[in-house]
Amino acid sequence: MTDKNILPAGFESLEPFVEYWAGETNDIRWDRRSRASMPDIQAFYDAMLARAEDAIQHLEKFPLGDMPPAEERLFCLTLSLVHASIAVELHEQPRAIDSPFPHGLHVTRGPWPHGGGMGQSA
Amino acid sequence: MAYDTETARPDFARMTPADLDTGPVPCAPYISPDWFELERERVFGRAWLCMGRVEQLPEPNSFITREVEICKALVLITRDKDDNIRAFHNVCSHRLNMLVTESSGKRSIFNCRYHNWTYRNNGDCTGIPDIKNFFGVDKKQCGLTPIHCDVWQGFIFINLQAEPEVTLREFLGPYAEAYEGFPYPFADNAYVIESNLNVNWKQIADAFAESYHVAAIHPATIGNTFASKSLNPFGRPLSGHAYGAHRVMCTFGNPDYVPPEDAHVERLAYSGMDTGNVLGGSDSKKLQDLANHPAANPTKRPNWGADVSWIFPNFNIDYGPGGFWTHEFWPTSVNSTRWILRVHVPEATSVRERIMQEHLACRFAEVMLEDVTNTQAQQRAMESGAKTHMHLQDGEMLIRHSNAVIRKWVESGSAREALDLD
Repeated sequence: MTDKNILPAGFESLEPFVEYWAGETNDIRWDRRSRASMPDIQAFYDAMLARAEDAIQHLEKFPLGDMPPAEERLFCLTLSLVHASIAVELHEQPRAIDSPFPHGLHVTRGPWPHGGGMGQSA
Repeated sequence: MAYDTETARPDFARMTPADLDTGPVPCAPYISPDWFELERERVFGRAWLCMGRVEQLPEPNSFITREVEICKALVLITRDKDDNIRAFHNVCSHRLNMLVTESSGKRSIFNCRYHNWTYRNNGDCTGIPDIKNFFGVDKKQCGLTPIHCDVWQGFIFINLQAEPEVTLREFLGPYAEAYEGFPYPFADNAYVIESNLNVNWKQIADAFAESYHVAAIHPATIGNTFASKSLNPFGRPLSGHAYGAHRVMCTFGNPDYVPPEDAHVERLAYSGMDTGNVLGGSDSKKLQDLANHPAANPTKRPNWGADVSWIFPNFNIDYGPGGFWTHEFWPTSVNSTRWILRVHVPEATSVRERIMQEHLACRFAEVMLEDVTNTQAQQRAMESGAKTHMHLQDGEMLIRHSNAVIRKWVESGSAREALDLD
């Protein structure tokens, strides 16, 4: 385990998911979920959902947009749970039914923080 | 949640205006290169076009650049130190290089990177290096070429005619009257989804202009929120109006929708919220002003989904109980379009609110994916030439009205004539 995968104390069991699932922008998280297999999505969803409420309560102790690196990582991982849930709770498959991939749609600016902003001005 | 049983009736009022032809609508305008040339000159060359909002130029000396590909226009929009908003052709007067290459920023002086000619953000040419070796060039004559620009309720419009035939207010006509004083909450903050699509610009605009498709194309994402198997299986709009060249539709929202028991993350994301609208961005009290405005959900029914308001030719201001979002449909060729969606939400103030916004953005992106990718298949099918006309029902009035207005502008000798102002 490298430093860049370290999560806050108490969340170590989620560290194997960090490298793939803690994408830093909305668009990256969407892309990662779209490329993942359903068993991988389900495994992340199950593990993260079990700790989601704990993660939120932990993160709420820190200022939004200015958290220590391990907390920001946990935040991105929690945001990725939302993407996994679109596959698990809505589509019951990795991507929207009958949609092509790659599809050329991009979230060029996501909500702040950890949304990303590579497009035109807000 | 309670709802008015009267609205559960399947016979919603007819929305197609009596003066609108109800026959099949020709598809040639969606596939014909000749028609596209007419739209270039007579629609986009004469209409007022929305470039964005004043909040995108947040302070003095902010600027943005835009492109109107169909008119080959490069647009520079500036806010000067006195807060005047101006538009110029983004072209240097010397060797006609593109002046500003960034999409946005803050500067009062622009330097052309080619030979360092300089311009102030009011358009004045302020510097010509080695001017003594030019042949009587006059700096005063070398300013940026202005584009007519006006602002309505915070929305910046340009007109590419050398002298616009109609004012922005005349152009907006009854639409501006209906939306006078309309609030645009969270106008300074948006998330943005963009794509370049292989589809005629009208095809993608049409995709957001009717709710008849919702149950079929969006069964998982919003099929059960904007339609209802028991109350409104075909997603009939609650109302629809033509406002001069523009048009509005009010869509149904299922008042009984709650996230399913096993949608644990959806329930987590919306915990603490009292709005049932999945496309809503916040339950802030500011949104009450929007819902109370006479133009929003004009029949004031409780089962309100969202309103689509389509400003001719290519701009949507849509809104619902959770706020507003805009669509831009920029033609880049007869069968390609640059599409931009901006969804205005408040800046998150808590982790929980941020997670809810991620869910909103995710679901919106999935809905858009279902909508826009379908249109690319539709474009290919139209181009096959198998059919020459489409059949539109009453709930697809906005598409019929759009086609009629575009045809009128194409066939009219002037914008004034197209708007019945003469």
